[in-house]
Amino acid sequence: MTGFYIVFLFLVLGMLIVAVTLLLSRLLQPRKREKDKFIPYECGIVPEGEAWIQFNNRFYVIALIFIIFDVEVLFLFPWAVVFDTMGMVAFVEMMIFIAILLVGLAYVWAKGDLNWVKPKPRLAHLAKKKGE
Amino acid sequence: MNNLNSLQYFLPELFLSASILIIIIVDLLLKKDKKIITAYLSVLAVLVAFFLAYRQYNYAFTSLFEGMIVLDSFAVYFKVLTALSTIIVIFISMPAFRRHSEYYILLLVVTLGMFLMVEVNDLLMIIIAMEMVGIISYVLAGFNKFNMKSNEASLKYVLYGAASTGVMAFGFSYIYGLTGHTNLFAIQQAIVGHSLQPLPVFIAFVMVVAGLGYKIAMVPFHFWVPDVYEGAPTPITAFLSVGPKAAGIALFIRFLITVVAHPASQTTFIQNVQIQAPLLLAVLAVVTMTLGNVSALGQKNIKRMLGYSAIAHVGYMMMALVVFNTRGFTAIMFYMVVYMFMNFGAFWVVQSMTPHLGSEDISAYKGLGYRHPLTAVAMAVFMLSLTGIPPFAGFIGKVYLFAAIIKQNWYTLAVIGVINGVISLYYYAYVIKVMFLDRDEEIKAISVPLYDRVLLWLLLIPVLALGVYWGPLIDLAHNSIGFFFGN
Repeated sequence: MTGFYIVFLFLVLGMLIVAVTLLLSRLLQPRKREKDKFIPYECGIVPEGEAWIQFNNRFYVIALIFIIFDVEVLFLFPWAVVFDTMGMVAFVEMMIFIAILLVGLAYVWAKGDLNWVKPKPRLAHLAKKKGE
Repeated sequence: MNNLNSLQYFLPELFLSASILIIIIVDLLLKKDKKIITAYLSVLAVLVAFFLAYRQYNYAFTSLFEGMIVLDSFAVYFKVLTALSTIIVIFISMPAFRRHSEYYILLLVVTLGMFLMVEVNDLLMIIIAMEMVGIISYVLAGFNKFNMKSNEASLKYVLYGAASTGVMAFGFSYIYGLTGHTNLFAIQQAIVGHSLQPLPVFIAFVMVVAGLGYKIAMVPFHFWVPDVYEGAPTPITAFLSVGPKAAGIALFIRFLITVVAHPASQTTFIQNVQIQAPLLLAVLAVVTMTLGNVSALGQKNIKRMLGYSAIAHVGYMMMALVVFNTRGFTAIMFYMVVYMFMNFGAFWVVQSMTPHLGSEDISAYKGLGYRHPLTAVAMAVFMLSLTGIPPFAGFIGKVYLFAAIIKQNWYTLAVIGVINGVISLYYYAYVIKVMFLDRDEEIKAISVPLYDRVLLWLLLIPVLALGVYWGPLIDLAHNSIGFFFGN
């Protein structure tokens, strides 16, 4: 258990630093209450309505697809750094990795998830609107 | 062994991974009315993986990927078992899932996860393998997208899964903090070599048991079971109660043997840390089987009833975990195979009869013995086998479980186990009673397709055969665990 005092010290120090900096800025900062300061930050535009709104759930799909390539790039960086020392093995390994991700890309492509407006939404279970 | 050399011992998993990717591509190219080909390809892939895994049986103990994974006959035994369970479940699903080809690919991914689960040797790999099985299971449980119960099942499964994995990971962090290792062998050495504080070790052990206990549906981590089993598609219910559970039990046994056991004897718990593992496991086993059986008594829905009975069967198997010797582990491994056949059999009857009966309620089975005698007789055999009545396979399995604990003088445990067997007789026999003693005035015969009947026979024959000739299987189980202890 002897090694744990470092952890404890770290914990106490961490809390102390946060508390001290917060207190310092509290004491030093000039405070001018203006109306604009209480508006949520939104790229310089005055926000309209609530943040709790319904939005297209295709955003989730796009975000998920983005993660595939995000992770790919994440792994490509360390790979590129050690590429000189690893040589052929690293190359083959990364090609396999990319091939696996490409299968994912092919899947979403074939399923039409890369299009913002999905080609044919077959929602047979939903009642069709009149006139369709 | 380093990563590149390990690959040659990793063939079943490599083959499965490659075939998953290829099948995804093939599936995309298939026309909508030909999607069933994906199912055939999946069966083929698991079959090849099955044989590749089987070929590894006589390999000597090997530590792969810098100690992340170990290959031994214990792992191979469970790999073969889980691959077989996937094959059976694909056959069970085929009539109902003709268009949903992703379903089969997801099953293959679960199989890959289960292969990893039974051979892990590192805390990090345990989490990765369990999540691989878990996350895909959540999707499969909610596969009937437009069925509210299926959605509910999936959500409950996710929430319980996330919580229990979190608890387990927290337990792992304690273990790492105490020992400084993630490799299971190194952890064992550290526990034996240093005098650790008993309380943190005990807390870590309990947390890990919570995570693994959730996976095998052990009380008090069982609350997800009835809802998930009722809501999930029937083949998935059957699968969850056999495949991932077998993998979970294998992982549990491996964790106990490699971490908690004393390296010199391997059949006694480590003495220098007072974690009371046998007593804790005994209490959990008793609670699990009693609660499972008592709750099953009042169930109206047959899937829910089988869900609670699955909890009870985990209790029986945990009983043999308590004694912690070769005999106990052999009994569990044997029972898992027997349980696979009788449980899949019962679920197959439910799956194939539900369209004819129009309901999953037990009362819908009224007069089935006259409407389709073969199915009803088969169901009766599965029910009696689940109860543990001779001359069926379930009886032999139970005999070995009870023999293991009685040899070590756990008499109270054995008595409670037998009482539970008697309780379970009520609800299993009730199904038989409904099928044969209750009957309608007019008998509407059911015509069952050839495919259904053949699959029924294929599940029925092992249950009957293992009841009279079980020697080779028990030898196989014994050898597998023997090799394991030998190293």
